[in-house]
Amino acid sequence: MNDPGVGDAPVPDPGSGLGAVSRRAALWGIAGTAVGYAAFGPKPRRAGAGDRIRLDYWEKWTGHEADAMKRVVDRFNESQDRIFVNYLTMGGIDRKATIAIASGDPPDILGLWNRNLPFFDQCGAIEPLDGLRSYGIDASHYAEAIRPLVFRGGSQLAAPSTPSSILLYYDRRIVADAGYDPDRMPRTIPEFDEFIERTTIIGPDGDVERAGFLPTDPGWWSWCWGGFWNGRLYDERTGEATIDSAANIAAYDWFQSFPKRWGLDRLRAFQGAPVDNPSPYRNFFTGRLATTVQGPWLPMFMDMELGPGVFDYGACPFPVAPELENEPPFGPIEADILVIPRGARNPEASLEFIAFTQQPENIELLNAGHAKPSPLATSSESFRRDHPNSVVEAHEALLRSPNAYTTPWISSWQELAMALGAGLDTIWNLRSESARGPLAEVQREAEAILARAADRRGRRGQPDPWLGIEPATGGAT
Amino acid sequence: MLWISPWILGFTIFTALPVVLALWYGFTDYTLLEPPIPVGLDNYTRMADDPILGTVLWNTAVFGVLTIVLGTLLSISLATVLSHPVRFRSFWRAAVFAPSVLPLVALAVIFKLAYDPEVGIANTLVEGALGWAGVRGPNWFGSGFWAMTALLLMSLWGVGPAVVIYLAALRDVPRQLHEAASIDGVGRWGRFVHVVLPMISPVILFNVIIGIINAMQVFAVPLLLTGGGPERTTYFHSMYVYDQAFTFGDMGYASALGVLQFAIILVLTGVVLLAGRRLVHYRGA
Repeated sequence: MNDPGVGDAPVPDPGSGLGAVSRRAALWGIAGTAVGYAAFGPKPRRAGAGDRIRLDYWEKWTGHEADAMKRVVDRFNESQDRIFVNYLTMGGIDRKATIAIASGDPPDILGLWNRNLPFFDQCGAIEPLDGLRSYGIDASHYAEAIRPLVFRGGSQLAAPSTPSSILLYYDRRIVADAGYDPDRMPRTIPEFDEFIERTTIIGPDGDVERAGFLPTDPGWWSWCWGGFWNGRLYDERTGEATIDSAANIAAYDWFQSFPKRWGLDRLRAFQGAPVDNPSPYRNFFTGRLATTVQGPWLPMFMDMELGPGVFDYGACPFPVAPELENEPPFGPIEADILVIPRGARNPEASLEFIAFTQQPENIELLNAGHAKPSPLATSSESFRRDHPNSVVEAHEALLRSPNAYTTPWISSWQELAMALGAGLDTIWNLRSESARGPLAEVQREAEAILARAADRRGRRGQPDPWLGIEPATGGAT
Repeated sequence: MLWISPWILGFTIFTALPVVLALWYGFTDYTLLEPPIPVGLDNYTRMADDPILGTVLWNTAVFGVLTIVLGTLLSISLATVLSHPVRFRSFWRAAVFAPSVLPLVALAVIFKLAYDPEVGIANTLVEGALGWAGVRGPNWFGSGFWAMTALLLMSLWGVGPAVVIYLAALRDVPRQLHEAASIDGVGRWGRFVHVVLPMISPVILFNVIIGIINAMQVFAVPLLLTGGGPERTTYFHSMYVYDQAFTFGDMGYASALGVLQFAIILVLTGVVLLAGRRLVHYRGA
């Protein structure tokens, strides 16, 4: 017996995988979803902007470093009612910035590192900040060593936000126990070598239990060692690489003396030893390392990891070759910088914000939050007095030294740095008797890299705009 | 056509167009931040004088050959074992496949800990097995040899998909061929070499080609584990392409290197397919 209803039911189209859904209905459905998403979907965050000009500011910082800049941003947003700055933390910022600028949709303000500046400038990817003069900001506004980082040929290309000068930090207790005056650390490399011998503890089985110093712990500035012998990696006046200079060979022979004197395997065991502290500063914080090269942020991390005021530290300029002993301090410096990318929608408003950040009270607020020195020519007494880093004046002294140096002003620095890194691996791993051979190899690679950069400029009709310009002060390695 | 149009659109925008653009950029000087300028064959002639390219190609070839050979041997062995009735067979099959579903980044972090010279499980195992002879575990990322060994061992962690494919192929070998060989007095090893291997040879060919493609594209794990070091001993072709494009800002040369990579994969695949004509047995052919 048939079910009377069955014969009346519509028969699905056997050729359609979606049964009764017609193509037209499906297309209307997709179109409706798209319209609904556009109308009611997520929107760019505009909170607080109102009718103001909204500036997107990309920066690399997170945590307490981001909080410090957000305080400056909030201060700016409250100080006027025309512009609203929206702070956005961005990982891998230099690569993302490259793509954003190339695609014509950059942020209004960009926080980069000074080492990025030559490449971005060479490609015309940033707007000059010479308009800062109308806010009373020129080269004299900044510390001596900061000027060559952001000025070229009299033009301001970037504004420093937070600078870093690298010093030798030490554990005052270990220094005193070894019979040294913690307020008078070794000033020359031979004195420092003797200090290292006296503060190093070798166990009965030959293992390193405490190292007086290790150039690879943390090893973040492996390009810097030649500078303490007054060596440079690149001569800006001639445009030539000088990696295998006598000063650099002496410096990297000294670098190699550590695995030679203690043994590579023992150093690997020392640096890989399990310590109940996951931070990159663990060997220094746990007393396994008497001294370390570090930036001004270190005391902030001491307080966060060990508790406020627990660690009794000091800092001084890194020792130098004996003939440089009586000169102003030597050492590497770096800076986080602010730039306006090409294609920014509101360059004048961006400039106004950058000018605001460069005012002493704002840049000191920012740098106190980072535990860094001020990049300005002078800093206030209250800044130094209340600063979380008790040796901030030593950091400021290096920023004002004509012997401070930074990475070379070349657009292909990243490529050269990688070549140098491979050469230093060879030196450290004792795959050559001395630093001479590996540095000669890096020199050859560097010459090829620089020749390619010159070809590129020539192809684009861009003669090196900075060749032959004597940096006003300071310099590049 | 209407229903596959979203896929065609996606393929055109995200695959076909980039391929065409990469071919074009390979003949230009292009920094991403400036318009590309045609330079003819400059990027290709530069390859001849690029010592780093020689290094990365050598590293990639060593890694590729070893990982394909070892991976093939291991996956066929595992598949053979798992094709026999063993206790908890489903569990073992799942256990072999499970590592392949882990994200590569998570895997790299786990292996970085495992290879730690002082506290890692790798050296605990080495010293547990050979400590009586005074053998100490190596510093896995301290020398080129051990860093490459570490990456090779880690690559074997992901043989699961190949094992599943070999298992299916082994099940497809006709039982009567085994029986006929047994009647003819062929032993277990003989049956494996003269019956099983020829019967699964099309699958071996497929896995070798996939292995070549994967080896030429090895990127994330060495980037996270070794960064290409020490002394560029684990610096592979894909890492070099990435660095040229996004670290050094030379998209033109990176595109040319990408074209080279494609050409190498194409040639190797062609060679393997040609060799397969003589070595691979197709049923019914």
